[in-house]
Amino acid sequence: MHIVVCLKQIIDPEVPFHLFRIDPVAKTQIRGSHPLVISSYDEVAVEVAIQAKERWGGQVTIVSIGTKETIQSLHQALAMGADAAILLCDPLFEQTDSFGKARILAAALRKIGDFDLILCGRQAGDVEMGLVGPFLAEELGIPCATLVANLVSSNGKVRLKRPTESGYEILEAPLPCLATITNDESNVPRYASVKGIRAAMRTPIPTWTATDLSLDAAALGQEGRIEIDEMWIPQREIRCELIAGESAEERARNLALRLRELGLV
Amino acid sequence: MASILTFCMGTRSSIPRSGLELLAVARSLSQQLGSVPVQALFLGLGVREHAPALIHHGADQVLLADHPCLERPEDEVVLGITEEVVRQLAPRVVLLPHDELFGGHVGPRLAYRLKAGIVTDCTGFAVQNGDIRWLRPVYGGKAMAYMCARGLLQVATIRSRAFEPLPADALRTGEIQEIPIPEAFSTSVTVVERVEAAEERGLSLDRAEIIVSGGRGMGSAEGFSILHELARVLGAAVGGSRPAADMGWVPHSHLVGQTGKIVAPKLYIAVGISGATQHMAGAGSSKTIVAINKDPDAPIFKLAHIGVVGEWEKVVPPLIRSFQEMRS
Repeated sequence: MHIVVCLKQIIDPEVPFHLFRIDPVAKTQIRGSHPLVISSYDEVAVEVAIQAKERWGGQVTIVSIGTKETIQSLHQALAMGADAAILLCDPLFEQTDSFGKARILAAALRKIGDFDLILCGRQAGDVEMGLVGPFLAEELGIPCATLVANLVSSNGKVRLKRPTESGYEILEAPLPCLATITNDESNVPRYASVKGIRAAMRTPIPTWTATDLSLDAAALGQEGRIEIDEMWIPQREIRCELIAGESAEERARNLALRLRELGLV
Repeated sequence: MASILTFCMGTRSSIPRSGLELLAVARSLSQQLGSVPVQALFLGLGVREHAPALIHHGADQVLLADHPCLERPEDEVVLGITEEVVRQLAPRVVLLPHDELFGGHVGPRLAYRLKAGIVTDCTGFAVQNGDIRWLRPVYGGKAMAYMCARGLLQVATIRSRAFEPLPADALRTGEIQEIPIPEAFSTSVTVVERVEAAEERGLSLDRAEIIVSGGRGMGSAEGFSILHELARVLGAAVGGSRPAADMGWVPHSHLVGQTGKIVAPKLYIAVGISGATQHMAGAGSSKTIVAINKDPDAPIFKLAHIGVVGEWEKVVPPLIRSFQEMRS
């Protein structure tokens, strides 16, 4: 089975509140000196793909729309165990919305050709719209299973485990198909081994441009159907009311009284 | 006149709160856009008797599909019906709950098929010169954005508990119309098995008014047992931060955070949680946040409304006793 994972590189989402800055004109986060990382759910998708390869064989290819800096994240995915990686990089790709992103990825997938399963994180760790995965399935006209955590079997069709509120369900889907990936106990991303990192650094990563994918501005829907109109950092004016008391026990009692007074319990 | 169309999946026993929240959004939008009619698509099995309640909560017309195939429908069946209805009615705005089914599946695919702009996980909106600007958190809630969906049709998925349902008005009148269910949808992805978890998971995070949550500071799965006890006394659900879920102290389905559930209960009690941005992305919209932490410099005390400095081992047991005394 050939699994393709779509990966987005983002500014480390763990940047604390007091260091977080945005550019209100560009309506995006300012990177500053923060590291770039693989978006959390996409890293989980890489883990799921590698686990599937370990169980049933096959190969894992990573594709990412990005810049030269994205190569570092592609190396990380290779070091985790992916076989190949492709960077999709072109000035035309930069200002596209989720519809445009899906179109770029679809063109890359068609160029790859022999894929069986596409995995996308359920949503990116920055703007968190959760659109590109389902859009890509629609663009390619293939079945789409959403919010699954792992593969349970692969035999012409795939069976996928989807966590539910009260347990989980097993979905069956024909191949080729696309699945959006959520996290559970089974797919905590592994650390890359030293051996893996060395091998990854030697793996060539081809770059595909708009020309390579036969895409032009018109095809990428530059009209934009989803626009960010305004972005700001909300003022956090929470003044924490510290509960007084000599002992922990007294503070606990005072907390209970205060919560009752506020009508919260 | 092009309407605002809301969606609701009901059950024999109830209408989900999200269905009523969407009607509150729709009514407010209708008023600001200038008396746009509000239609509600109501799906499920044995839900017919609940249809008038949707009128009482703000719908002008209920489109009812009460059918055995809608008891636990496949995602693609709901997508198929939704697409069919939206194509026929040609509404101006489609409002969906931002849950796994609609936010994760139906909403995006519907928008793609209808070439509609879409904004997901909205927590508010503003109308400016007749355009709707959808408010939503970005970057794990560290920033807010107004987004616009361009096109004749726009789709918005609405975060649970971001809006209060309107009070029921039994005098409101409206039309209830049954709609036909197209025969036999072919689905490519099917549920072949459903498995209930062996362990007791307690109340679900989505429905709880109160959530008790633990983090790395709980130290062990055993530490969590006292949080379950506190939750029982309060009728609360139990959640956990990412470290707690990764260490297996709470199931991942009860993880609160940017990579878990986004919750907004009226009371959120965070115990042994430092207040990392990953966690606050999930808990930050709670109406009142209480922090119990031994470190007075923990970031959580800058994000919580009420704080108690102290070790949880010494604070939580007397807290449970106090609540028990209050009840008796």
